[in-house]
Amino acid sequence: MVLILLVRDYIDRMLHDILGMKVLVLDPQTVGMLSVVYSQSDLLKKEVFLVETMDNASSSRESMAHLKAVYFLRPSADNVQKLRRHLAMPRFAEYHLFFSNILKIQQIQILADSDEQEVVQQVQEFYADFCAIDSYHFTLNIQNNHMYMLPTVVDPPGMRSFCDRAVDGIASVFLALKRRPVIRYQRTSDVAKKIAQETARLMYEQESGLFDFRRTENSSLLLVIDRRDDPVTPLLNQWTYQAMVHELIGIENNKVDLRGYANVPKDQQEVVLSSVQDDFFRANMFENFGDLGMNIKRMVDDFQHLSKSSLNLQSIGDMAKFVSNYPEYRKTHGNVTKHVALVSEMSRIVEERRLMLVSQTEQELACTSGQAAAFEAVTSLLNNESVSDIDRLRLVMLYALRYEKESPVQLMQLFNKLASSSAKYKSGLVQFLLKQAGVDKRTGDLYGNRDLLNIARNMARGLKGVENVYTQHQPLIVQTMEGIVKGRLRDVDYPLVGNHFQQGRPQDVVIFIVGGTTYEEARSVALYNAANPGVRFFLGGSVVLNSKRFLEDLGEAHRISKSSTTI
Amino acid sequence: MATRNRTPLYRKYRDALRHVRSPAGAPSSSGGGGGGPLIEMASLLRSDRTYAPLSTDDPSASSRGAVMVGLPPAWVDVSEEISANMQRAKMKMGELAKAHAKALMPSFGDGRDDQRAIELLTHEITDLLKRSEKRLQKLSMKDSSEDSNVRKNVQRSLATDLQNLSMEFRRKQSSYLKQLRQQKEGQDGVDLEMNINGSKSTFEDDEFEDVGFSEVQMSKLKKSEAFTREREREIEQVVESVNELAQIMKDLSVLVIDQGTIIDRIDYNIQSVAASVEEGCKELQKAERTQKKGGMVMCATVLVILIFIMIVLLILKKIIF
Repeated sequence: MVLILLVRDYIDRMLHDILGMKVLVLDPQTVGMLSVVYSQSDLLKKEVFLVETMDNASSSRESMAHLKAVYFLRPSADNVQKLRRHLAMPRFAEYHLFFSNILKIQQIQILADSDEQEVVQQVQEFYADFCAIDSYHFTLNIQNNHMYMLPTVVDPPGMRSFCDRAVDGIASVFLALKRRPVIRYQRTSDVAKKIAQETARLMYEQESGLFDFRRTENSSLLLVIDRRDDPVTPLLNQWTYQAMVHELIGIENNKVDLRGYANVPKDQQEVVLSSVQDDFFRANMFENFGDLGMNIKRMVDDFQHLSKSSLNLQSIGDMAKFVSNYPEYRKTHGNVTKHVALVSEMSRIVEERRLMLVSQTEQELACTSGQAAAFEAVTSLLNNESVSDIDRLRLVMLYALRYEKESPVQLMQLFNKLASSSAKYKSGLVQFLLKQAGVDKRTGDLYGNRDLLNIARNMARGLKGVENVYTQHQPLIVQTMEGIVKGRLRDVDYPLVGNHFQQGRPQDVVIFIVGGTTYEEARSVALYNAANPGVRFFLGGSVVLNSKRFLEDLGEAHRISKSSTTI
Repeated sequence: MATRNRTPLYRKYRDALRHVRSPAGAPSSSGGGGGGPLIEMASLLRSDRTYAPLSTDDPSASSRGAVMVGLPPAWVDVSEEISANMQRAKMKMGELAKAHAKALMPSFGDGRDDQRAIELLTHEITDLLKRSEKRLQKLSMKDSSEDSNVRKNVQRSLATDLQNLSMEFRRKQSSYLKQLRQQKEGQDGVDLEMNINGSKSTFEDDEFEDVGFSEVQMSKLKKSEAFTREREREIEQVVESVNELAQIMKDLSVLVIDQGTIIDRIDYNIQSVAASVEEGCKELQKAERTQKKGGMVMCATVLVILIFIMIVLLILKKIIF
């Protein structure tokens, strides 16, 4: 609950000292950041009786002088301008301004200038500038995520805003943790290098006073890596609960939108999957689909037993007990319905898209070698009518990433087959992917076939056989984490910024993946943390990817790069 | 957790800019324009030393401030009254718990005073809760202004508190009821516990083996009958209040938010407010259009014209004749 508790703590402190009825004004980004950690009923307990966004607060003319306003905003130029208008014509009795990141002196001056009525009581910086979706997983929800795949010259302001947001988010994580880290980055990625260097400049030069925390025994580490070093993980289909829901349906800030789907009961159109509030989800979010099915069946059986026993009420005592347990009963009922709806929807999708078949081949492409067999499998699936376009694209991409250098003729055959069968396929997308994330561009040993140790490990695994074909893939980040803990992360591949040096083993490590994280990686991090209590790993990214989002980013970057080279 | 207080710097700029804006104005007392360090690192404890409530700010600002802090709307008084009621109910519940414990303890005297005290307290608490609930229902009235959102949320939070209070009250009552029942059975059963009336168990009676009822037995029977009746009455009362509270709970459960569901999400509530405001706008526009096109306007216009024509004809008639 670590990251979630940090943000909750900030919000608690914000609201705690201000007495009386309050209104909370947010901007579109802080709404997301707040909603994942704080619920409406929590706000009501703190006497916050109205929540508004910046826009509809400025459009309304109604004066509510019996409320005190608490503003929680990102310190962007846009917000400061809107805030000026609010301060010029105040609607509330008092204004307490909290910004989620570092303010520039100029912004403070602008605000002071427009506060003619002197309604502002305090201006504070509370560094909660990230979405804490799980205990060890945060995201920044950056809109123009595809920027990271493009060179800076294509769109300098876009790249600037992307990097700034990433640096702000990372800095606020460390301020919340009260650590100043040693910074390392992936050598082959320019974007990672830029972000790492700017973060270092911020922490050690520009705001060194702010980051000057008590030096703890072991230092902490920030590792900035690029999504393109492991393009396989976002492309794979997932079979553990949280990752699977995101892959097949889509989770946004812990909310799942089931509105487009038939057979979903009316009150389950939008549901919340939060590991903090939902015990069943917390226990099962990393379980694979088979075990999950059994656990759900058990939960449904328990619930049926409970509701049957509540149906035969014999005496007044029974009735009284039922009425007093009714809120619990209703909550359990809602929870059971929610999980049943999600799992049945996912089962339907699995059936429809033949995902069992497709995913088996995907996992083999990711984990085992054997070019000829792989080619056969992929070809047969491409010929299969019931496999959808996006699945075919993924299969070809996975094959291309693995067997890029072997048998180019067969690779061309696959490209052609893909182009001919899928109408929507933009030609050259797979080649673009290879250009971005091909074997020459990657640092890490994605397939375990560079390092002798890894080859041996793979052979051992192949001989032993796997427990579950569908979850045999292990994301590259697990190797990276082991490397950090054992001190085996090579300086050549992951150099340090400036003249930092790492003394001993780091206690807190934040891994930031430029381009986005996946729930499979978050699962690996959480399981690793549980198994190794000596080190704490935090995972964060610009967005949370599933295969659809990753392909969208790829497509967007491909389109832009095509149009910019033709200019 | 690091935070940084920018208020001193902010006030410094604000004061400086105020002087620039109105150079004739006398320098006001320093609410916070102290020359403290520009960057203040906050510790884990509260860092709001420079936060001063509105009333203790410099006098010139407070006169302006007085205009700002308008009177709160009337419903705020209602909500404050409800929360005061609930506070009182909570206090009384504490007293009731003590009275329950005392009544259940074996005592030599007649437990009637205790019973009365318990009854009184129970009635008072039920009354307070019922009244609070009625006022709560009244709190959500018409008007679709922004204020209504605030009212709805105030209502929700009070409803949650009220529901928790009712549940706790009912739990206390049912446990008292259970213990009462146990005591009643204990009197009829074959154990040797001393109960309130101090009558002994029937174990000794069996030793007499009389066929008829002796005098001692008759009086004992009468006493135990009276006792049983009293106990039954008590139990009925408790059950009645349990049922009343069940009713309150049912009404309240509509108001209370289920934790962990989508309605408990801040972003969902903001969206739905925005959506409903938009829809309301659309409905209004549609209503306007239908009204304009409506037959009513046509009819009214036609009738007015006819009236004018009639008046003209009347005047003409008068003139001609």
